[in-house]
Amino acid sequence: MAMQTRGPRSGGPGGAGPQGGKKKFFYRRKRVCKFCVEKLEYIDYKDVKMLQQFIPERGKILPRRISGTCALHQRKLQNAIKRARIAALLPFATD
Amino acid sequence: MRTYEVLFILSPQVPEEEATALVAEFKKVGESTGAKLSHEDAWGRRRLAYPIQKFNEGIYHLFVFESDGSLAELDRRMKNSDRILRHMIVRTDLDHKRAEKLAKRNPKKERVRPAPAFTPSEPVSEMPSGETVPAE
Repeated sequence: MAMQTRGPRSGGPGGAGPQGGKKKFFYRRKRVCKFCVEKLEYIDYKDVKMLQQFIPERGKILPRRISGTCALHQRKLQNAIKRARIAALLPFATD
Repeated sequence: MRTYEVLFILSPQVPEEEATALVAEFKKVGESTGAKLSHEDAWGRRRLAYPIQKFNEGIYHLFVFESDGSLAELDRRMKNSDRILRHMIVRTDLDHKRAEKLAKRNPKKERVRPAPAFTPSEPVSEMPSGETVPAE
């Protein structure tokens, strides 16, 4: 008896996802770590042009989920950007 | 042996002769503690990303020292000098070593992607399967 009462519940609206029906397709482009691809193991804080690719308008560090940088290189990139900021090569904040 | 990068920014008000004298002096201070200058780079006047002491530009100069000791003396002198807007001493040999190791571990293997460029104009199946392409 218990099994039968549970049956319809699992097939009900709760199981199939909150909206059900229409599937939304998000276009997701393939992100790869720039440093892994180009085999740049040392990230230099003096290379402003390169670092600027990871600095959006506001002067913040571009998050990994957007740039696709791998964890190791993001950490190094972060250090390099912070050093560059101390040396006034990059802004702490703009605006 | 450690490698240190010493980057410092001179005030833009410093006249050129004095700037070269200061650079020479700091070089001497560094070398007097047993460090060897392996590289030097004068970047010259550069716009600062943000004002420091109300200056919008500065004279950048970079030293690369090889040393067994520390550059504490140079650090102290630079801190005390009012001609220097900012200085930064960074140890780089460990990072370079690590980078080399990583480069060795995954050497430059070109990622082989399936080349879509070559598309035969004729379908392959048209070619008689029994005949092979003449060798000559």
